[in-house]
Amino acid sequence: MKFHWFAEATYDDLPEVFPQRHQSGSVDYPAALVDSARVGANYRMQIRLMQQADRLGWDGLAVNEHHQSTFAMTPSPNLMAASLAGTTENAAILVIGDSLALYNPPVRVAEEMAYLDCLSEGRVIAGFVFGTPMDTAFAYGVPPAELRDRFHEARRLITRAWTEPEPFAFNGTYTKLRYVNTLPRPVQAMPPVWVPGTGSVETWDLVLDENYCYGYLSFFGLANARPIVAGFWDRVEQRGLDPNPYRMAFTQLVCVADTDAEAEARYAEAVRYFFTRQKGAPHYGAPPGYTSQASQREALDRAKGVSPETRLKATRGELSFWEYDELGFIVAGTPERVRQRLRELATELRIGQLITCMHMGNLPEETAAMNNELFGTQVAPYLRDLWADHEDHWTPAVSQHRVAAHAPRIPVPSRQESTR
Amino acid sequence: MTTLEIPNIGTFDIELLEEGSGAPLLYLHGYERHPGTAGFLTRLAENRRVLAPEQPGYGRSTGFENFTDVIDVALYHRELLESLGVEDVDVVGHSLGGMFAAELAAIAPQLVRRLVLVNPFGIWLDDEPTLDPFGPAAEVKAAKWHGEAPKDEPTNFVPDPDDPHAAILFSAQNLGSATKFMWPIADRGLRRRLPLIDAPTLVVHGTSDGLLPVSYADEFVRLIPNAELALIDAAGHYPMVEQEDEFVSVVSKFLDA
Repeated sequence: MKFHWFAEATYDDLPEVFPQRHQSGSVDYPAALVDSARVGANYRMQIRLMQQADRLGWDGLAVNEHHQSTFAMTPSPNLMAASLAGTTENAAILVIGDSLALYNPPVRVAEEMAYLDCLSEGRVIAGFVFGTPMDTAFAYGVPPAELRDRFHEARRLITRAWTEPEPFAFNGTYTKLRYVNTLPRPVQAMPPVWVPGTGSVETWDLVLDENYCYGYLSFFGLANARPIVAGFWDRVEQRGLDPNPYRMAFTQLVCVADTDAEAEARYAEAVRYFFTRQKGAPHYGAPPGYTSQASQREALDRAKGVSPETRLKATRGELSFWEYDELGFIVAGTPERVRQRLRELATELRIGQLITCMHMGNLPEETAAMNNELFGTQVAPYLRDLWADHEDHWTPAVSQHRVAAHAPRIPVPSRQESTR
Repeated sequence: MTTLEIPNIGTFDIELLEEGSGAPLLYLHGYERHPGTAGFLTRLAENRRVLAPEQPGYGRSTGFENFTDVIDVALYHRELLESLGVEDVDVVGHSLGGMFAAELAAIAPQLVRRLVLVNPFGIWLDDEPTLDPFGPAAEVKAAKWHGEAPKDEPTNFVPDPDDPHAAILFSAQNLGSATKFMWPIADRGLRRRLPLIDAPTLVVHGTSDGLLPVSYADEFVRLIPNAELALIDAAGHYPMVEQEDEFVSVVSKFLDA
């Protein structure tokens, strides 16, 4: 079982009235609400937390791309990845990912990920993402009808840019280049590729055709994921492929403390902030043409793991801390409790790559650092045996070796020895 | 279904509504959907042969993936007319169909006898940015109509008792296809080609259209060499529905002149 550290770079000082007064925290939010000096402090905190996670044995450090959003202020994941590639030692640099259709020309992705792979000595995981509707259609103006086509053309170009030994010409519909000869090239001949999705059948077939890792990156936990993840594994089986758990990544908000009461005291406000401030206007979520007919039909027919009413309650802050936990939106409590629940989750969903969200909303850095330490020393080491009989083809060899050599093990090191 | 095979481009299977006889009239529908056998089309067909194809990518009509840009759409319409054995045709285009009709008249001027553009998309005015036609559904609905929205908007949608999602998917597919030419701004360079239109042109515009202010119609009239404007009051984006009599009257008068 692998663990990848992640947090949304959420702006941590939106007013309490924000959810009522503003219809959306993305696209057309009031820019005056955001103080740039504070954004810088948020970034620096996130980088420190990820450096700590590297020392504590996480297998990967995940960064993502979003535009015009107070929920995730990371317009270029490659920039944050660059801060990490040069200042960490072991963990994979999980860029999850670059929204391929938004780079012009897309060889920019090939270049920047190669730069990161060189700088990190071969630790890059290349995430290729379609991008959310808000990012692609609204903030960046790509016609939804063209998004997937642009994504695939860019993906083919980037793959060739990394692997073809000679300069080549590329005559695509959206990108035309006479001389493709990318420099630098990745240290890894071809970095492992991860593609997140939301349950589209086309995306399942893409990752299975290309041997990519599939990520279902939701913040709504086990029950919500169940039907979609089951659909993915059904597809793997239908196609007669190896159901290797490392094919799949999943996100989970995690709140560890020495006691359950302390978990509630320390994390409740931040969890509430996280869920209540990520509001988006409904029409930003589903522009016409963004989802194929087949996938729309699939989504309409699929049983909902979590009812829309419950989601609404979550985003209105009408759930208690332990209700968020019961629903699986968070996994909270003592290290023992978190271990047990994550083992159940990973076993049931058959997840080999767990993306742990260790900071959320307006959580103070001190608490997030504690979360890291407790998880890194008292949770992760007890779960590493899970799926040990499967080979992970989707994280870089260099990071696998280094993490195996350095990550904390059972028995747990004492607090003084650790990096807290 | 009418099948059109264009060499080196691809195959199109399209629903073609054909009504009446006489001089041919090509009707190109708007961004939301084909109107079906709507009253205004039936009336225009009283002394004409109305040809109202569904756009590729809408409803059951296929071939959308063959389009790389709006010029392909104009060339497709040229081929469609040729395959129907029609030349010297009157063309009426509404909304996104207005953009397509204007492109056709600019690129194949020899085919178009008279041109009618009804609340057409296709240009952008910096001084008067318009509402997003893909914005919040309630807002767009309110903007489209002068008065109350009609209970049933004209459509060629046929409910399927076995498919509870048919209506949602029909609408999503149609609008998704429209994004190719209208997202994020419905400007694919038509302004540069409007001066190439030879056909006498009538720009019909419902004055209460919250998606396209009257200034947009004025700009079409200014850029097309031989164009006149017919404003229809108490009508929004669908003057042919909200003011059917007046619409049929001004269009017939122009075409018969």
